[in-house]
Amino acid sequence: MSNQLNLPQVDSNQVPKLYRSVIEDVINEVRELFLDEGVDEQVLMELKTLWENKLMQSKAVEGFNTEEQAALQAAAQQQAQQAQQATQQAQTQQVLLPPQQQAPQQQVIVQDPKILQHMSATGMSAATTAATLALPTGIGPYQQLITSQGQILQVLRAANGTQYIIQPQQQMVLQQQVLPQMQPGGGQAPVIQQVLAPLQGGLPQQTGVIIQPQQVILTGNKVQQNAQVQGGAAPGGQQQQQQIQQQVQQVQQVQGGAAPGVPQQQQQQPPMMLQVDGAGDTSSEEEDEEEEYDEEEDEEKEKDGEDGQVEEEPLNSEDDVSDEEDQELFDTENVVVCQYDKIHRSKNKWKFHLKDGIMNLNGRDYVFSKAIGDAEW
Amino acid sequence: MAYQLYRNTTLGNSLQESLDELIQTQQITPQLALQVLLQFDKAINTALANRVCNRVNFKGSLNTYRFCDNVWTFVLNDVEFREVTDLVKVDKVKIVACDGKNTGNAAE
Repeated sequence: MSNQLNLPQVDSNQVPKLYRSVIEDVINEVRELFLDEGVDEQVLMELKTLWENKLMQSKAVEGFNTEEQAALQAAAQQQAQQAQQATQQAQTQQVLLPPQQQAPQQQVIVQDPKILQHMSATGMSAATTAATLALPTGIGPYQQLITSQGQILQVLRAANGTQYIIQPQQQMVLQQQVLPQMQPGGGQAPVIQQVLAPLQGGLPQQTGVIIQPQQVILTGNKVQQNAQVQGGAAPGGQQQQQQIQQQVQQVQQVQGGAAPGVPQQQQQQPPMMLQVDGAGDTSSEEEDEEEEYDEEEDEEKEKDGEDGQVEEEPLNSEDDVSDEEDQELFDTENVVVCQYDKIHRSKNKWKFHLKDGIMNLNGRDYVFSKAIGDAEW
Repeated sequence: MAYQLYRNTTLGNSLQESLDELIQTQQITPQLALQVLLQFDKAINTALANRVCNRVNFKGSLNTYRFCDNVWTFVLNDVEFREVTDLVKVDKVKIVACDGKNTGNAAE
């Protein structure tokens, strides 16, 4: 049964279909064999899945190999798009809201500094805030809540059921007001993505920030906790910092968070050691010996094939004629597997008449029913 | 028996790797895996013969040639593969070709 038209088509379109049909044929034919041996159908399906996955991974074939995988990828793309949308919306709202504090951080914290400010300014009670922030757990995947102050909070609901409240504005009043204004673009993205991946390690680093982008993951309970603790806070910046830091640590601890403490992040870069004296390492510790050794090395390199073989490449290796190294740089060996109809030679001119071949060229797969070639030897 | 020629292709190798994994986890026997591969040989030979219909031309310089057990092996350099639609250039290609005159009977 062939679904393919006999019209000349782009070869790359043929290959996925061909492979798919071969896979289907093989699996179907083999099903009986599996049953005869008493092997479960499940194993057959696993074989098929493994096979298709490897094909996809090899990237030798364009396009997805099955519709299922196409659906899976589409779903993955949708999730990615949602994350991006959240990022974008958060960003636009940041631009709109006048930042009274110069905190550029990407944070996911329940407490809105605006709310706090309003609290101090207008005497709003903590209870109101708490009530506002105590969200019902039945929130859908992506909703926006409007607080009493008219601020828009965004709620994301991750796959594992925890809810993340994304504040459109960065809050923390920092001791150092050096931080630039809200960073557009990639600023929010890493946090949002991290938000969605519960407490992965490695929060993005920012220079000079004491409290770096935090991930305060809220369940129903913790919302209230935060609200209460901060409700009683004085509007002083430092106190908020500390409390929030404590909360973050608590949350992180409670969650068994993998994220290290904030101040530790700045020290995470391993010390870099550069070796400047070349590859010819010796265990010699004394400078005098090294100097002498260098001189000797130079002399030895001028000799031909004597015992001057140091730890470096053997001498005279430049004389070797080797085609292999250059060609091994390619990841794939370009291979054509086929059948020959006729091979003809005249002096040093060769002609090839080939058929039914599968080619792997530059990493991609091609097929042909006929191939004609010329080469000179 | 069809040519086992096509086992060393992306499709064939991925099948072999998958079978190996199942053998390692002892979900199938090596004997069964062999049967699967034989089935694969049949399927791919049939598919290529019946479902593919396109022509390719190529030109290059011949580096080496070998004819042994009715199997030709060539290595070409600086080759251009040309189809109606596109052109692919490679520095080196190896061509392995079994006798196509018989209808895919096994080379012995």
